[in-house]
Amino acid sequence: MTGGPEIILSIKDVSKSFPGVKALDHVSMEVRKGVVHGIVGENGAGKSTLMKILSGVYEKDEGTIVFDGKTVERTTPVQALRSGLSIIYQEFSLVNSMTVGENIFLGRFREAGGMKGTHRKAKALLESIGSNLSTRQYVSELSTSEKQMVEITKALSFDSKLIIMDEPSSSLTEDEMKRLGAIIRELKGRGISVIYISHKLDEIFEYCDYVTVMRDGHVIDTRPAEGLSRAEMITMMVGRAIESEYPERPRCVGGPLLEVKGLNTRKLHDISFTLNRGEILGLVGLVGAGRTEIVRAIYGADRVRSKHIRINGCEVHIASPMDGKKHGIGFVPEDRKMQGLALPFSVERNISMATLSKIRKGLFLNPALEREMAQRQIGELSIKTPSPTTVVESLSGGNQQKCIIGRWLETQPKILILDEPTRGIDVGAKYEIYMLMKKAVEQGSAILLISSELPEVLNMSNRVLTVANGRITGEFDPERASAQEIMNMAIG
Amino acid sequence: MEGRLPIRRFVQNNLVLMTILLLVLVTVLAEPKFLTVGNLGNIMNQFGPLSFVSLGMTIAIIGGFIDLSVAGIVSLSAVFTLSMIDVLGQGGALVCGLCAGAVMGLINAYVIISCGALTQAKALFITYGLSAAYSAIALLYTDGATQHMSYLTRPVTLFKAIGSGKIGFIPVSFVLFLLVMGLLHLFLTRMQTGREICLTGANMTAASLAGIPVKRRVMQIFVLSGMLSALGAIVLFSRITTASPLLGADYETNAILAVVVGGTSLAGGRGSVVRTMLGVMLVTLLSNCMNLLGISTYLQAVCKGLVLILAIWLDRRRVK
Amino acid sequence: MSTNKTGFANKALRIVGRQKALMAILLMLLVMLFFDTRFYTSYNLLDMLNSAAILEIMAFGVTLTIICGGCDFSIGSMMSLSGIIAIKMMAYMPIACAIAVAVLCGALVGFVNGFLVVQQKTEPFIITLGMGMLLKGIAQQITDAHPVPASNLSFMKIANTRAIAGIPNLIVIMVVMMILFHCVLRYTSFGRNCYAIGGDYNVASMSGIKAARIKWATFVICGMTAAFCGVLLSSKLNTGSSIYGNTTALSVNCGCVVGGTSFAGGIGGIPQTFVGLLVIQLLENCMNMLGINAYVQQVCEGIIILLILWFDSYAQKRKAETV
Repeated sequence: MTGGPEIILSIKDVSKSFPGVKALDHVSMEVRKGVVHGIVGENGAGKSTLMKILSGVYEKDEGTIVFDGKTVERTTPVQALRSGLSIIYQEFSLVNSMTVGENIFLGRFREAGGMKGTHRKAKALLESIGSNLSTRQYVSELSTSEKQMVEITKALSFDSKLIIMDEPSSSLTEDEMKRLGAIIRELKGRGISVIYISHKLDEIFEYCDYVTVMRDGHVIDTRPAEGLSRAEMITMMVGRAIESEYPERPRCVGGPLLEVKGLNTRKLHDISFTLNRGEILGLVGLVGAGRTEIVRAIYGADRVRSKHIRINGCEVHIASPMDGKKHGIGFVPEDRKMQGLALPFSVERNISMATLSKIRKGLFLNPALEREMAQRQIGELSIKTPSPTTVVESLSGGNQQKCIIGRWLETQPKILILDEPTRGIDVGAKYEIYMLMKKAVEQGSAILLISSELPEVLNMSNRVLTVANGRITGEFDPERASAQEIMNMAIG
Repeated sequence: MEGRLPIRRFVQNNLVLMTILLLVLVTVLAEPKFLTVGNLGNIMNQFGPLSFVSLGMTIAIIGGFIDLSVAGIVSLSAVFTLSMIDVLGQGGALVCGLCAGAVMGLINAYVIISCGALTQAKALFITYGLSAAYSAIALLYTDGATQHMSYLTRPVTLFKAIGSGKIGFIPVSFVLFLLVMGLLHLFLTRMQTGREICLTGANMTAASLAGIPVKRRVMQIFVLSGMLSALGAIVLFSRITTASPLLGADYETNAILAVVVGGTSLAGGRGSVVRTMLGVMLVTLLSNCMNLLGISTYLQAVCKGLVLILAIWLDRRRVK
Repeated sequence: MSTNKTGFANKALRIVGRQKALMAILLMLLVMLFFDTRFYTSYNLLDMLNSAAILEIMAFGVTLTIICGGCDFSIGSMMSLSGIIAIKMMAYMPIACAIAVAVLCGALVGFVNGFLVVQQKTEPFIITLGMGMLLKGIAQQITDAHPVPASNLSFMKIANTRAIAGIPNLIVIMVVMMILFHCVLRYTSFGRNCYAIGGDYNVASMSGIKAARIKWATFVICGMTAAFCGVLLSSKLNTGSSIYGNTTALSVNCGCVVGGTSFAGGIGGIPQTFVGLLVIQLLENCMNMLGINAYVQQVCEGIIILLILWFDSYAQKRKAETV
C-alpha cells in the first residue's frame, strides 16, 4: 500500500478486551482519503467493536488512532461527529416522531438557526445529494432507503471526512441499492472516505477500492479489491477453505401438501400457490414486497380479507397462530429477539414453548420430559450451550436461532416457515442451518423460505416464487433460471 | 471473582429475608411485647387481606401487567358481597362476591384487549381508570354509606369464621392463604397454563407466534387477579365486620409494594408467589412494628412510600 | 408555492383528525345548547375557566415530562403539600419567601423523581405514585390531617382578584404560563430536545443532547409547577389541606393524554393539553349544571375518559391491523 492519496485514518495496534474475551488484538489498518474501504468478517470478528471504538462508544485499551492528522486518545460519539467521523448504524439513529429537517440537525437547534434555519439548511444539503425529500415530513413516514438518505445528509451536515456505513444494504431493494451506489460515488467524488461494512461480498466487490478482512479480533489482510477473488476472500474470513457455502440441494419433492388460494389483505392481492411435500420453496422479493405478510397470513398471525388453505387436500381454517400450529405449521419469525425468544428464560423453556402439551402428564408439566426434549434438540442441532438451563439471552445469534428451529422441529411440523433464518448469523452457523433444512425436508416436511440473500434462496430451493407489490409475479426453477431473470421479476 | 464474598451475595439475593430478620430483631429489643402469642396472631390476622390481593397482583406482574384496578375491585366486591348476604344467604353471597371480582377482571381484560393496549404502560392507565370507575360504582351502590355486618338479618357464621375464626392460635384466613398460595405456586410452576402466562409476560409476541393463545391468557391473568382481590375484600370485611365503599383505597400500592419487595420483577415473566408471601410478611411486620413503636399512621404511610420507592429502585439495580 | 399549500392543507387535515378532544368539546357545547341556558353565560364560562386554571397550569408542567417520555403522578400530593407549606411558612417570613420555599420543595421532589426515573431507570408511573403516597403522608403528618387556614389577606388576594380588565387573576396566570410553556417547547433548543428525547432517548443522547439532564429537568419543572399550583389553590380556598388533590393526578395526566399527548413520548404539545384538560373540566361543569349526583358524575367521568382513550387506541389499532 504505497502511493495513492493521503491517509485520513490510521489505526495502529489497537486492542480491546471485554471480560473473558479479547475482542480486538493489535489491529492495524489505514484508510485513504476519498476511497471506499470495505471491511468484511464473520460475526464476532471484531468489526463492530472497532467501529464503536472509532465512534467513541467504547474506549480502546491500547494502541493509537490518528484521524485527519490528529491523534485521538479518547472520544465521545458527539466529539467524533464534530471531528468529521460519522457512523451510520444498521438501526438508524433517527427520531421517528420528528421531521426530516429536525433529525438532520438533531441536538443543534441553535447552531442551525432555529426552526427556519434548520429547514433551509437541511433542504440545501438534501438537494446536494440529489434528494427531493421534504424536510417537513415525519421520519416515521419514510421508507428505509429514505431514512438512510437522511442519515447520510446528517453526516454531511457535520462536514464528515469519513463516513462509516454498517451493513447499509441489509434492508434495501435492488433499486435503492443502485441509488446508494450513486451516492457513495458522489461522496467519493467530494473526497469523503467511506468505510463499508457488509456481509454481502458482491457489494464489497462492486463498491470498494480496498478490502480489509477481519477474523477473531485480528486484521487478516488489507488489499485492493481488484484482483481479489471471492474464494480467496471467504478463505481469509473463515480461516479455512470452504468447498461450498451451501450443501447439496435436497431433492425429495413429492405431491401437493399446502395449497393457498385467493389470499387477500390490504397489502396482498390474490396470492395463490402450492407447496409440495419435501420441497423447499423460496419466496424472493424486495423488502416490503409482501413476503413476510404472505407467510404471516398463512400462519394466522395477521388478519386477512379472504384466504383458502388446503393442507393434504383438506380445506382448513387458520385464524390464529394456534390454529396454524395445530395444522402442522411451524413459524420461525424474522426478528429473533423480539418475535422469537423469551430472552430471560432458559434454553429448555424456549425449546418447549410450542409443545408444552407434549411434556404434560395429567395436570402437571413433567420437568424430566422437558429436560429430555431440550437435550434431544441440543444434541440434534448441536446447539452450543453450557446447559439446558442457561439463559437463552447469553447464547450467540446462531445458537439462539437454532433454539427456535428446535422448538418447531419438536412439533414435527408438516410445513416449516423460515423467515430470514440466517440473518446476522456467521458463515459456519449458516451452513449448519442449511443442513438442518435439508434434513427436515428429507424427513418429509416442506419448507417455505424467505431470504433477502438471493444466492441462499437460489442454492437451497427447489422452486422460487417472486413477489412484488403484494403479488406473485413469477415462478422459476432456480437450476435453470439466472439470478438476473429472477431479480427482474422480483422488482416487478 | 465468583467465589468472592459469598456472604455478601447471599445477603444480596435474600435481601427481603434479611430485612425481615433485622426488623424482628430491632422490634424485639425495643418492644418485648412483639413476641407474645397475641401479637403474633394479630400479625397473621393483618396478613390476610393484603396477602390475597398481592397474590393476584403477583400473577398480573408475572404476566407482564400491573393491575391497578384492585383498589376498586376490593371496594366494590366488599360492599356487594355484604349486601348480598341478606338476599342469597352466606354461601351464595360468597360465590357471588368471587364472581363479581372475576367479572371485573374480565372487564379489565376486555377493555385492554379491545383497545389493543397490551403493553404494561398502556394497561396501567386503563386499569387505573377502571379502578376509579369501580370505586365510583361502589359509592353509588351504597350511596356513600358504610355497611355493617351486625345489621344483617341472616346468619353470617361463615364470614365470622373467615374473618376471626382460629385453628389453635392460627387464624383461618392465614390457613386459607397458605392453601391458595400453594395452589397458585403449583399452577405457575407446574401447569401448562401457568407456564404460558409466564411466557406471555416475558415476551408476548414470541408467545403468540409460538401458538400460545395470548389473549385468553391475558383474560385469565386479570380474572385471577380480580377474583383474588375479591377474596381479599371478603376476608377484610369479615374481619372488621363493616364494608365501606372506600375500603380498597391504597390496596394497589400496598400490593405492588409487597410483590416488588418480595423480589418479583416488574419486567414480567419472572417471579413467584412464595416471594410475594415474604414481601407481604415484610410489609405487615413493618406496620406492626411501627404500631408497636407508636409511630403515627401518617408517618407510616410515609415509610411505606419510601419502602416502595426503595424496593423498585433495588429491583431495577438488580436487573441492570 | 403549490407544494407549500398542499403541505398546509395536509397539516390542517392532520390537526383536525387528531383533535378528537376538540370534537368532544364541540359536542358537549352542542348538547348544553338544548339542556341548560344558564350554561351559556359569560359568568359561567369564565367561572369554569377560572376553576380549570389550576389544573391547566399543572398539566402544562406534566406535558413536559410526558413529552420526554415520563409522567408524574405525584403532582396531586405535591399540590396539597406545597399549599400547606406556603401557609405554614407565612408565619415566619414574607409571603413571597413562603411561596418560594413551597416552590423549592416542589423542585426538590421533582429532583428526586427525576433521579429515580432518569438516573436509575425506574418506571415513572409507579415511582411517582409511590412518591405521591409519601408526600401525602408528610402532608397529613404535619397538619395532623386537619385543614390549615391562612390568615393573610394579601395571600388570599393572589388567586381571588381581578387585576386586569376584570379577568380573574388565575386565568391571566394560566394564559401567561401557557404562552411561556408553549414557546419553550416550540421555539427553544430545550423544547425541541424534549421532543427528541421522548421520540428516541438513545438517539437523542448519541446526537449530543444531554438527554438525562434535560429529562431530569422536566421532572423538576413539573414538580415546581405542581407546587406553584398548590400555592394558588390554597390562596383560592384560603386554606391548605392534605385532602386536596386526591384525584388530581389522574385527571391531569388523563387530560394530557385525552388531548393527544402520547405516553409513548415525543408527541403532543401545550395546546393539545389545554384542550384535553378543558374536556375534563367541561364535563364536570356540564354534569353539575344538569344536577347529576356526585357519585354518578364520578362514574360518568371515568367512563367518558375511558371511552376517549379507548377510541384513540382503537383507532391506532385499526390503523395497524387494517387488512
